[in-house]
Amino acid sequence: MDNASTVFPHKIHWESDGTSRIPFMAYTGADQHRKELERFFYRKHWCYVGLEAEIPNPGDFKRTVVGERSVIMVRDADGGINVVENVCAHRGMQFCRERHGNRKDSGFTCPYHQWNYSLQGDLQGVPFRRGVRQDGKVNGGMPADFKTAEHGLTRLRVAARGGVVFASFDPDIESLEDFMGPTILGYFDRLFNGRKLTILGYNRQRIPGNWKLMQENIKDPYHPGLLHTWFVTFGLWRADNKSELKMDAHHRHAAMISTRGASGKAGQVTQVSSFKESMQLNDPRFLDIMPEPWWGGPTAVMMTLFPSVILQQQVNSVSTRHIQPNGNGSFDFVWTHFGFEDDTGEMTQRRLRQANLFGPAGFVSADDGEVIELSQKGFEQKPYHRTLAELGGREVGDTDHMVTETLIRGMYEYWRREMED
Amino acid sequence: MDKQQWTDASAVDEVPEDDVIGIVVGGRDIALYNAGGEFYATDNICTHGHARLCEGFLEGHEIECPLHQGRFDIRTGAPLCAPVTEAIRSYPIRIEGGRVFLALD
Repeated sequence: MDNASTVFPHKIHWESDGTSRIPFMAYTGADQHRKELERFFYRKHWCYVGLEAEIPNPGDFKRTVVGERSVIMVRDADGGINVVENVCAHRGMQFCRERHGNRKDSGFTCPYHQWNYSLQGDLQGVPFRRGVRQDGKVNGGMPADFKTAEHGLTRLRVAARGGVVFASFDPDIESLEDFMGPTILGYFDRLFNGRKLTILGYNRQRIPGNWKLMQENIKDPYHPGLLHTWFVTFGLWRADNKSELKMDAHHRHAAMISTRGASGKAGQVTQVSSFKESMQLNDPRFLDIMPEPWWGGPTAVMMTLFPSVILQQQVNSVSTRHIQPNGNGSFDFVWTHFGFEDDTGEMTQRRLRQANLFGPAGFVSADDGEVIELSQKGFEQKPYHRTLAELGGREVGDTDHMVTETLIRGMYEYWRREMED
Repeated sequence: MDKQQWTDASAVDEVPEDDVIGIVVGGRDIALYNAGGEFYATDNICTHGHARLCEGFLEGHEIECPLHQGRFDIRTGAPLCAPVTEAIRSYPIRIEGGRVFLALD
């Protein structure tokens, strides 16, 4: 009698020391997911929390998450940015329910017992601390040695650069700049070069797949010209676009840099069968592309900052895409479309129109949510199996072309190093 | 009698020494204090957490809110410590014939 299960192995199994064949079990199982949260979201990594422009005034706050922990990004009276955990020091309640608001005058109050916190997360006072007077006698109250200073909210480390805010629960974390590394930092600073940002709007979606699949999606230049027929039909993506793939030294972050051919809808494209020269947009303004000086050449740079965020520049559409896991098989994906304070009204309209390509129902991005869901279904039904990521070889390294899955292999090289340690 | 409109609020001996009571005068929630024989009156609702100050603790001329321990000077209504930042209103007082009168306007 053979007790060994062939379909549901007990342990994740890699076929080699390499990462070109990724076990389906990298995407399944609650225990491993919690280990990922510990090692990637709660230690040693800066996680995206938002843009400074979302909280311009003292008291402004935004509720968001680091990994699966609810946090609040809030601007204090001095203009500083604080990130505190949304868990009351008293009974552990997630006291803040609004996504955005202002608490300049009152601080944060937990509705359960009205414990009250400053905008920096310090406990101000607690009801009936000195008891309740009744018939000349004082009843109850906190013990004499109760100190409010010992019961503030958990405060996260905060780093802001170019108007983008990151936070970490890890008190010993390296600087944000070291975390990104010089190559990725260069592309980060290209997009966030000191101009003030303006918020154009949000998209939110829940994708029933593992959170890493979203990182992989933006580390995968194999699929856009094949899955996204919209891109190809209207000439925005071609596998022979001039392009580069670059990573940080750990291979956890990446940038896909591409430069659109001057020809636009080039007639000579033959390698992609879905290209349809005859299709026309009813409203061509979706592709009213206006080169901007700060691009410095590339027309699209898609950055993956591991583990929490994707930074998008696709021609005139710029956005952050926040990955918010909930369990191993699902994540919320929150898109913040922004612009720059010195944009003309016309440029703002252009960015908004081009944003139609992205988000949960975007002409292009709707495809990604669906393939991620269906990938997860495949993994769950056949956990002993593995994916293949061998386009461009089995090694990991920067390239000057797009015909490779090297960035995915790179991310799993890092993943294995951190998870198997 | 001066030009102030004085409203009868309470008997003097309703307010225990070094203590505070809550009363309604002219439709307003008022905290009436007896600090060592001197009487003071302020709005009764804290400007921070909207609790009733008459349920707090009077120490000298400071009333401590029972909810979050913010403090006000009962003589002026001025906020004295976090989390309170906004003053409460204080009212002129007049004692006559064993009664406490307030000028509400």
